[in-house]
Amino acid sequence: MLSAIAARRRGSGLGFAMPAILLLLAFFVVPVAALLTRSVTEPEPGLQNYVTLLGNSTYARIFFNTFFVSAVVTLITVLIAFPVAWALAIMPRRWAGVIFAIILLSMWTNLLARTYAWMVLLQQTGLINRSLMALGLIDAPLQLTNNLVGVTIGMVYIMLPFMILPLMGVIKKIDPAILQAAALCGATKAQALWRVLVPLAAPGIASGALMVFVMSLGYYVTPSLLGGTANMMLAELIAQQVQSLLNWGMGGAAAFVLLVVTLGLYAVQLRFFEPGEGR
Amino acid sequence: MKTKLVALATAAVFAAQGALAQDMVFTSWGGTTQDAQMAHWAAPFTEKGGPAVVADGPTDYGKIKAMVEAGAVSWDVVDAEYDWALQAGKAGLLEPLDFTVIDKTKLDPRFVSDFAVGSFYYSFVLGWNPANFTGDQPATLADLFDTAKFPGKRTFYKWSAPGVIEAALLADGVAPDALYPLDLDRAFAKLDTIKADIIWWEGGAQSQQLLASGEAPIGFFWNGRLAALAADGMPVGISWDQNITAADALVVPKGAANKEAAMKFIAEATSAEGQAAFAATTGYAPINLGSADLMDPAVRATLPDAQTAVQVNADMAYWAEHRDEIGNRWYAWQAQ
Repeated sequence: MLSAIAARRRGSGLGFAMPAILLLLAFFVVPVAALLTRSVTEPEPGLQNYVTLLGNSTYARIFFNTFFVSAVVTLITVLIAFPVAWALAIMPRRWAGVIFAIILLSMWTNLLARTYAWMVLLQQTGLINRSLMALGLIDAPLQLTNNLVGVTIGMVYIMLPFMILPLMGVIKKIDPAILQAAALCGATKAQALWRVLVPLAAPGIASGALMVFVMSLGYYVTPSLLGGTANMMLAELIAQQVQSLLNWGMGGAAAFVLLVVTLGLYAVQLRFFEPGEGR
Repeated sequence: MKTKLVALATAAVFAAQGALAQDMVFTSWGGTTQDAQMAHWAAPFTEKGGPAVVADGPTDYGKIKAMVEAGAVSWDVVDAEYDWALQAGKAGLLEPLDFTVIDKTKLDPRFVSDFAVGSFYYSFVLGWNPANFTGDQPATLADLFDTAKFPGKRTFYKWSAPGVIEAALLADGVAPDALYPLDLDRAFAKLDTIKADIIWWEGGAQSQQLLASGEAPIGFFWNGRLAALAADGMPVGISWDQNITAADALVVPKGAANKEAAMKFIAEATSAEGQAAFAATTGYAPINLGSADLMDPAVRATLPDAQTAVQVNADMAYWAEHRDEIGNRWYAWQAQ
């Protein structure tokens, strides 16, 4: 009986997914394909957009910035999110609920509003610099916006929930008794962390990191407001080319490169962490 | 019952579509500028028997191009930068204006062309926060580039557009009548000398915030934004020396659904009354030569109109011709 239901479910799964698939096809796949076509047809047929994009030192720098910022943001997000997810998993349920609500609430607040809030906090005459100066910790204001520091702070904050949620899902399933067992077998705390907890949570770390890294690659608002032009990222380049210079060919080429990288990363993740494992 | 409801709903949808088809859409940059445009242009236009005007925005050149190419143009009149308008007219993205409806004899000839008329004109001016400079106050564009005399971050318009490159050249000693063709190498070399101290502003509100907070105590601003700060009671320094004019244009995207109404709307917007009322509210200058007589002389004195003696006109035709070339170089330089 149960297996019959399971079989039927498997068979009709595609039907349930159909509305979403059609929606994506009409409003995502088709426009993306059109943009990609433009990248090899505008201003004239050929690969010149890709040659310019991959051969020019300015664009190379923008590619590097994009990956570098995304990697830094992902790393810091993992380091901050892991203890939070662990704490949420072992906390009394009521407290965990409150903290979880706070995390979700931050996600529901408008992105632009949150980024402007960081601008106000981080700028030279902002709250953080003024407080530090009033306390006598620094003499001159620190440069916290219009550079990499600002982008990293703003993006880590925005990405945290996307790391905490998948991590929590995995960590919750880990039986705390395993750690007791590790301790009983003589493992130090560090050993229990690195050889028991982290490997068990690895699928959560991997899916969270992939999500954060890929989202960071295409991020626009936060880098544009908190970063300087010297840390320009790919999404800004695409916006500039399409909106300001009406150069859809180049914009499309940049978008295509970004898409290929993203799909490549996804393929790597599928290869090493198959969906379902550890869940 | 159910069929009745369906019929009713269908009728309502069609009625709503009918209303939409008659309304015309005016797209601009949002904020206080578009509010003033709606109040002083759209409201009288509708009152005088024109269709209702729906505000949309912000202006997005990529979107205009996409709408025109797809043959589905939902914007009837758009406020765009003048140099872009000249370029877009040549590229076939705009409707030619109907000068039997729009009376161009009264308009400032600097801002009239086949596909675009001025929406308003403004000046880029040197502005500073007096709280940050106790001694000498900045006075010239050269001071804007002098970080020894006036230390601190300076803020400039982020996007490639007429203004900042001209300012760099003027500060470097180029005579106003020798600006064009622009010597880009020289301009970027001058900008390089202060590059580490530049904070870019993307929109008017941000420029005001940077100046008021002292984050960037000096910079190069749209005159209307400084006027608004001063009107709010903030002490603000303005130097009109070598103020650089640029303009916005009113254009009709090719294939706009309400072309006729669009031409009438532009006629109303560029009328002496419409331009005078808009100028008084925003601090930007009218492009109708008859507006000056309708305005309070005290208000007039605060507009770029009163500063023509020390004014430098950005060459819109030159920019329209070289927009892409300068833009590519500008953004590449910024990213370096």
